[in-house]
Amino acid sequence: MLEQTRNLARRILEEKQANGILGLAQGEFNIIQPRIFSEPAELEYLVLEPKWPLAKMAMRILRSVPEGYTLAVVCRGCDERAIYELIKRNQIAREKILTIGIACSTAQASACLCERPYPSHLDVGEASAGVNPFEDETVRSLLQGDDAVRMARWAKVLKRCIKCYGCRNSCPICICEPCKLEDPVWVKTGSIPAEMLAFHLIRAFHLSDTCVACGACQEACPVGIPLLSLQLSMRKALQDKYMYEAGIDPAKKSPVLADFFDEPETDRDVPAWVNSLRENHGA
Amino acid sequence: MADITVYLCKCFGEIAATVDLEIVRAGLGDNPSVSSAEIVDSLCLNRDLETMAHQIREGVTQKVLIAACSSLARGDRIVRGLVHRGVRRTDIHLVDIREGCAWIHAGDPDGATGKAERLIDMGLAHLENVQTSDDVSVKINNEVMVIGAGPAGLAAATSLARSGITVHVIERAPHPGGMLRLVSRLYPKDSAASSRLEPYLDELERNPLITVYPRAKLQSIRGYTGNYKIRLSSGDDEHNLSPGAVIIASGAKVLLPDGLFRYGEVANVISQMELETRFRKGAVATKNAVFIQCVGARCQDRPYCSTICCPASIKNAARLKAENPVANVFVIHRDIMMPGSVLEGYYRHVMAQGVRFIRCEKDRPPEIIGTDRIEAVSVYDAVTGSTRTIDADLAVLSTPLIPNDDNRRIAELLGLQLDRYGFFREIYPMHPVETRMDGVFICGSARWPVSSDVAITQGEAAAMKAAALLARSQAAASDFSRVPGRKFGHARVNVETCSGCGNCMAVCPFDAIRLQKVEGKYSHVSRVNKMRCKACGNCVSVCPNGTMQMPEHNYLSVGEMIRRAF
Amino acid sequence: METETTRQPRILVFACRWCGLIGADGAGKNRIALPSNFRIIPVECAAYVEPDAIIRALASGIDGTIVMGCHVGGCRFNDANHAAIKRLELLKELLDATGVGRDRLLISFGTAHEDHQFAEVIRDYFDTVAALPPLEPWVSTLTMKHLSRS
Repeated sequence: MLEQTRNLARRILEEKQANGILGLAQGEFNIIQPRIFSEPAELEYLVLEPKWPLAKMAMRILRSVPEGYTLAVVCRGCDERAIYELIKRNQIAREKILTIGIACSTAQASACLCERPYPSHLDVGEASAGVNPFEDETVRSLLQGDDAVRMARWAKVLKRCIKCYGCRNSCPICICEPCKLEDPVWVKTGSIPAEMLAFHLIRAFHLSDTCVACGACQEACPVGIPLLSLQLSMRKALQDKYMYEAGIDPAKKSPVLADFFDEPETDRDVPAWVNSLRENHGA
Repeated sequence: MADITVYLCKCFGEIAATVDLEIVRAGLGDNPSVSSAEIVDSLCLNRDLETMAHQIREGVTQKVLIAACSSLARGDRIVRGLVHRGVRRTDIHLVDIREGCAWIHAGDPDGATGKAERLIDMGLAHLENVQTSDDVSVKINNEVMVIGAGPAGLAAATSLARSGITVHVIERAPHPGGMLRLVSRLYPKDSAASSRLEPYLDELERNPLITVYPRAKLQSIRGYTGNYKIRLSSGDDEHNLSPGAVIIASGAKVLLPDGLFRYGEVANVISQMELETRFRKGAVATKNAVFIQCVGARCQDRPYCSTICCPASIKNAARLKAENPVANVFVIHRDIMMPGSVLEGYYRHVMAQGVRFIRCEKDRPPEIIGTDRIEAVSVYDAVTGSTRTIDADLAVLSTPLIPNDDNRRIAELLGLQLDRYGFFREIYPMHPVETRMDGVFICGSARWPVSSDVAITQGEAAAMKAAALLARSQAAASDFSRVPGRKFGHARVNVETCSGCGNCMAVCPFDAIRLQKVEGKYSHVSRVNKMRCKACGNCVSVCPNGTMQMPEHNYLSVGEMIRRAF
Repeated sequence: METETTRQPRILVFACRWCGLIGADGAGKNRIALPSNFRIIPVECAAYVEPDAIIRALASGIDGTIVMGCHVGGCRFNDANHAAIKRLELLKELLDATGVGRDRLLISFGTAHEDHQFAEVIRDYFDTVAALPPLEPWVSTLTMKHLSRS
């Protein structure tokens, strides 16, 4: 798969389909880091491991390139979804980017709890079946039980947070400058661990309809908080109620942002939320 | 900075009986924002208002917090009294400690006093952080665009032109007239539709202030109250208009009874509109005619009554009977809707002429009998409880008016609401021809099925409302709100922190936001049209980093209120 | 002495000026007795209520929040309340998943524009919240300056 990718990338540069390829390079002392390959010869250093979401980097690069520049990006499924979300939010111009889609293996999908380990434009590799994250042990233990049990389990893991902002920094969708998490009105400053409810729930909710489940947050967390699990219920709710998944269609905006008129027919015309008290408690 | 004066109203004991105002005042003594706190017997008797206003005008205090009754009781009046005396609205805050505290916690004076203290502290938080939206003043163009040249549109256009206002009438069809061209005679006087239409057509021709655009197609609508920017095509020509107001008189269409009562399958089962067409060509001969009401109406899909089909059928039944005196004419109905003394009188007159009415039930509709052409109608008579078979050589199906297909497109372009059936929605209950978009009015069947005389009345009403708007040559953004003088403000963008994500633009119910390129920034930046913005707050709630704020209710204020709530 | 588990729940209500607040006012005019441990923040429209504000409230020692708005189809801001419902329902998913509890946010649209309805919503909600496990493990430090006397 690596050779195939390199060849494809070479061809893209030779045929001038793009001015540069963004991918990982293994260089001196075997250090791996992101790199823009501008010459076909450089592509001998291209590698595909480890997983590192390049979408935000692509966004930043495209801000400072000259007019007419096209950037090709080596994309796993999650990279492509992140790029689509950034396109939706006007951070990447669609015509400036080209994807080189590579598939992940089943083992890689399991490691990331990924439901969709392949991009929609797949160039190299075979799409393997994803995994259902709700069947994972850690996820199950966090989401099971009654309120008090769940609260206790989450409190236990979130107490480790040292407010390094690694989750926010590595997330390919988090692009706001300044960020609400650093505003003392919303999140108390000057204390560790971070205010559990304020910091983590505000961050999780801001990603509710735009998280592409790449798992970068979880991987970046130095204290091993299972951050991906925070998003799973909201992603599922969007799928069930609105048949929506983030990052799949760059033209489809989140249902939270869409009109009454644009909602899919789901056998309920007007949502039955008029009195959640009566509905939930038979009042 | 201690610049807020607090007034605690005893309300002649109504508040003071439960809330211990002395404790509250004492508690405010240490508050760094409060310059003084006073207890008064009653604020609504005006004598204190002048003093309060004077103190603010003289700079003795900057802002005032009033703890008294609710805004719906006398609170609003106190606030307006101060504004009237020159105090800026955002320097005043009303805290409800009567309806919202003393009166609902009468059995718990400790709790009520504590709650009053917290509520007042929250009010102080608001005053410490409140900002004022900047206003903008726009010119109101003295022109109106009327969409639709049916009876409603024609009435609106001629009314406006007579008041000296330039009117642009756009019409989809090649000729103006709408329903008046398709219908033969009008109830209840049985007058020819042309006699009602002709005077309007005359005036369209003669009055230089009216321009008609036939075969028109709306390309785009942008802009705001006072200055809408319209692009349309009329035949092969393109036009750009800039009216100050828009009147929607686009009417409705008649439901074709496809699939109902064997329409299309059996000859001489026709729709009401087809009967009108036959009448326009000349007399209609029949020996046994049956009208069936509520076809495709008052059913699961369309539970509403279309109001005009009963009078229309009865008018046509009477005409058939008059033209064919020995014919049997039946009207099969579930209910007869003939409101008002004139229509009721007409109904009885038609009955006396020999038209017969049979009441059927919703679950047992009549059946058409016949192979290639209609021969009879069988119906369960709900009054006698027996099934009758009536000979018939003509069956007329009365179908309702349904919304036009492009209502939705127009609604999206103009920021309007549609009801669940797809008709344009007015501001219920007291503004029957106005919509949520100031400067856009609705009349006629676009709003709800009506007969042409009611359409004309509504058209004139809409014209009147539009004329009132256009009477000023200038207006401020703050003027436009449903409650005059109290538009809450409008959303404000922090250009530095905006990432151009477009969430706000996607979610604005009034389409008031656009993304614009800004010097020195890689991304676009949101811009709010102050005229279109109605301060609903949707944009603020979806902005990821607080770029969008409502100055009168900003996040500093909310955050502080939450902190001081308990 | 008031302890965490025996005190009355603290409820914060965001009520839209056009519906919810009318009900609250009606309850006041009719002197309907209600528990005192709730506060109302009036808003122009339920759409004003940022989900982050709900989170901030729960993080500040408030036990339950209510958002009162006009019934779907009755919003004077072109169904802005519908957008609000979608957001807030999604927030409830997150509150549920983390064990904070979906019941800590009550969405009551259109039911509270009459006095007895408002009172019923408030009273019932106090009962609902009182039955929930305390939020204490989550609120790392109480940032309240004052505690209600009751």
